[in-house]
Amino acid sequence: MRPQALRLTRSAPPAPHPPRAMSTQLTLQAPLEVPPAEVTPYLERLWHDGLEGSTGAATFTLLVWDPAWLEQQLVRIGRVDGPITGLDRADVLDAAREIVTLVGLPPSTAPMDPRLAWAVGQQPGSHAATDLRGRTVESAISSLTPRRLITLAPTLDDGHPLETLVAAYCPLPEDGGTGGAACGDVVVLRGGMGAMKQGLGLLQSLVGNDLPCWVWWNSSLDEPPEMLEALAPPPRRLVIDTSLGDPRRCLEVLVDRIDRGQALNDLNWLRLRSWRESLAMVFDPPSRRDALGRVVQLDIDVEGEHPVKGLLLAAWIADRLGWHLVASESVAADVGHGIAAEFQRTDGATVRFRLMPVPVGVPKAHPGAIVGLRLICEPAGRPPLCVILCSESGGCMRLESGGMASMELAEEVVPLPEESEERELARLLGGGHDTTNPLLAAAAPLAAELLPSAAP
Amino acid sequence: MTTILTNPLRVGLRQERVISPQCIVIFGASGDLTHRKLIPALFELFRQRRLPSEFAVLGCARRPWSDEEFRQKMGDSLAEQVAEHPRAWDAFAQGLFYEPVDLQQPEHLVRLGTRLEAVDRLRATRGNRTFYLSVSPEFYGSGCRALAGAGLLADPERSRVVIEKPFGRDYASAQALNKVVQACAKESQVFRIDHYLGKETVQNILVLRFANTIFEPIWNRNYIANVQITAAETVGVEERAGYYESSGALRDMVQNHLTQILALTAMEPPGRFDPEAIRNEKAKVLQSAHLAREDEPWKCCVRGQYAAGGSRAQPLSGYRQEPGVNPNSTTETYVAMKVFIDNWRWQGVPFYLRTGKRLPKRLSEVVLTFREAPVHLFDAAGGAPTPNQLILRIQPDEGADIKFEVKAPGSGMRSRPVDMAFSYDESFGEPSDEGYVRLLADAMLGDPTLFTRSDEVEAAWRLYTPLLELIEEAPWQLPVHPYEARTWGPAASDNLLAEDGLIWRRP
Ligand SMILES: NC(=O)c1ccc[n+]([C@@H]2O[C@H](COP(=O)([O-])OP(=O)(O)OC[C@H]3O[C@@H](n4cnc5c(N)ncnc54)[C@H](OP(=O)(O)O)[C@@H]3O)[C@@H](O)[C@H]2O)c1
Repeated sequence: MRPQALRLTRSAPPAPHPPRAMSTQLTLQAPLEVPPAEVTPYLERLWHDGLEGSTGAATFTLLVWDPAWLEQQLVRIGRVDGPITGLDRADVLDAAREIVTLVGLPPSTAPMDPRLAWAVGQQPGSHAATDLRGRTVESAISSLTPRRLITLAPTLDDGHPLETLVAAYCPLPEDGGTGGAACGDVVVLRGGMGAMKQGLGLLQSLVGNDLPCWVWWNSSLDEPPEMLEALAPPPRRLVIDTSLGDPRRCLEVLVDRIDRGQALNDLNWLRLRSWRESLAMVFDPPSRRDALGRVVQLDIDVEGEHPVKGLLLAAWIADRLGWHLVASESVAADVGHGIAAEFQRTDGATVRFRLMPVPVGVPKAHPGAIVGLRLICEPAGRPPLCVILCSESGGCMRLESGGMASMELAEEVVPLPEESEERELARLLGGGHDTTNPLLAAAAPLAAELLPSAAP
Repeated sequence: MTTILTNPLRVGLRQERVISPQCIVIFGASGDLTHRKLIPALFELFRQRRLPSEFAVLGCARRPWSDEEFRQKMGDSLAEQVAEHPRAWDAFAQGLFYEPVDLQQPEHLVRLGTRLEAVDRLRATRGNRTFYLSVSPEFYGSGCRALAGAGLLADPERSRVVIEKPFGRDYASAQALNKVVQACAKESQVFRIDHYLGKETVQNILVLRFANTIFEPIWNRNYIANVQITAAETVGVEERAGYYESSGALRDMVQNHLTQILALTAMEPPGRFDPEAIRNEKAKVLQSAHLAREDEPWKCCVRGQYAAGGSRAQPLSGYRQEPGVNPNSTTETYVAMKVFIDNWRWQGVPFYLRTGKRLPKRLSEVVLTFREAPVHLFDAAGGAPTPNQLILRIQPDEGADIKFEVKAPGSGMRSRPVDMAFSYDESFGEPSDEGYVRLLADAMLGDPTLFTRSDEVEAAWRLYTPLLELIEEAPWQLPVHPYEARTWGPAASDNLLAEDGLIWRRP
């Protein structure tokens, strides 16, 4: 087989799939299918003989677990058109929102909630579509010229045998490519779960040890732990999303990986940035600093029943302000259960904390998005200060009601981040760290402690 | 000044933009700027997690230091910060390397290329490089040539070069230097430092003007009567006599810092917030600026030199008595001038610029004075009503003030001026990034907004060419007037404004 370098071309995605946020996608011209056993020798030959004078970019390897279950299921039942891309697609989110109640889930179920993909999986249908996973690269990522992009693309059909696709690529000059010799290569492993396990055998030699490697677990953390374990041993840097999967499992993975000293990035935590920024802004004027030491109450409202994001926010505040957790319990709420907890401030006084799920009409893509936050402070010798932050898209009436007439009120609207997952990821890859962000590392164990051990 | 307590919630929130893995190569690594500003700024970025793990600093100069010696020397000069954050320093210092390089020896640069490849492998810095020329200005051109000669600037996406001030000594030399630099690298790779642009309050001029709708409609000749830009220092020449004697206030402060402030204050709104759009407008406004009397420049410019002064308890020596200064020196330590901008927005509005050493206060500000109300309806407490002023305070006590008339309490309808003040400290209370922190971060990000482009530098030099030529050819026409240390400059400078019926604002 004569190795051949392919160029990324800027082409419209093959079907009308607008990505969620403005971005260009680069589609790889059809990679070559080679037998699994041939992948490593083929790539070696490619770089030694085929691409003389080029050893590829000395950058990093990105390994993506990309099941795209929801997209695959929606394509299968004919709710969205193929091909399957594995990217953030607006039409998939729309179709998901439409189908939520039809499959018997509460209307505030987030489209990305893994329960939805499962429920859609129970629907009849057998539409087939081309599978382009691993072949379409967000330009924000390709401009970083990853040395190797490996996509694991499990299929719905469990018996699907292992297919391996390979290509060399170079981003277009305007996206940061040199336009000359190839920069990196792309490997796609596709097949049923059995085939994926078989594919694991290839990974060690594909990843190598020379360059930093990021593993993006682009799926629910409820999926087989062996797979996560096999793909992401330290020192690979792991990217997860703790909004996807059972909350306890999500927090366990988070804490466990941080304990093991792995560089861990959580997209759910990163999506808190605008909330943290808005809250910090309120306390920028030095005249308000004193109030920060005198917080008596913290309330957070979240969408649906996924508390992890809200808990991470609370844990970050508690950690920054030096609070100590006294007790936490589950409490009944209008929908499902909330969490009530008590902290002790550094001066010994008590802080009451409540996290409440609230129903919403149009949920955000990810479960457990924050709806609002209220912080009440009682600074010495001054009227109490009540800080209310509300999500741009919804009101936070619950937090605005009751008993605040005598307080100084600081109200802010928190803008929604408008970035696709791929762009968020590109930021991580662009300025990589080999350790976990210390703020997240401090907040994660506290968030796990805040989750009560059992519902009442 | 309010005391600055850090806001515990603010920590870690500055990583909006990520610096990609790279190696910053500092030429002049054994020099003053490196240990006083550059390494502290990089360490600060490191501590704020704004640098990636894949990062390296390669120090270069002629003396034969080892990596270990370089780490040790930098650690010693940052002793205070190192003692405060020993673990962070250890981690940071692992990324410090040193390579003896003489910029005038081509083979040294070839060796440097090899060393850089090794650093890339060791630190996974992806072949991204920022070359920082912190060497004497005479090496800026030859340094770029040497880098280009060794192929180190060949990839415009992955290599950049940062050039310290001063960029040239006059229009011709700046033009010549630009030619050399542009033959070695694309303009997008070149970052010319003006550390005033690293100041948050200078950047705020842009935000204040273009993020608000209330200022722009009145920001023109119909409403603004004149503009004063002041940068006053209390210090004398200190240990910089050698450099200062050949430079003077015009080159040291006006051509770069004051001119940048002038450009930001007077430029047209850019179409979008994009480095090139902003720099286009800055260059354009500087190209339409000229001295009020280009044909007779001595009539619109005043030079001064500080003489002895101070108090009996704290006497201050005059400039000519400072160590290293020629006792007959005619170098100016003070300069004031009047400039016009020939465009629709500013036709006829005088811009007065002044700067000096050994003035009573350390401060930089822009004062926009508005035209008087067309009819005086009320008696003013001070005789005539004070014209409205907008004061942008750049340092210290950064902020903005608006002065306007209100009714004086009591019977009758007398008016008196009051202040509406905004202070950075009271509103944010966070120390803003030190200038070099911001500028280094931007250079490593490849964001040129706060760096001066070739055409801007040239336009700035051209603006002052008549003065520079006059000083060269007929210095007696532009004498240096002595002024007592710790006073607001020579009387001639007050006369410059008095001719227009104005006075300098006494801050
Ligand atoms: N210091 C400041 O506060 C400041 C402020 C604004 C701008 N600047 C500008 O920054 C630049 C550096 O200033 P500085 O005060 O740091 O100067 P400096 O203390 O005199 O340092 C000059 C450096 O250049 C090195 N050097 C000299 N000849 C060299 C050659 N042929 N090849 C390689 N390296 C050479 C010297 O080391 P070796 O002798 O070991 O070679 C030394 O490290 C100047 O352009 C200055 O205008 C400085």
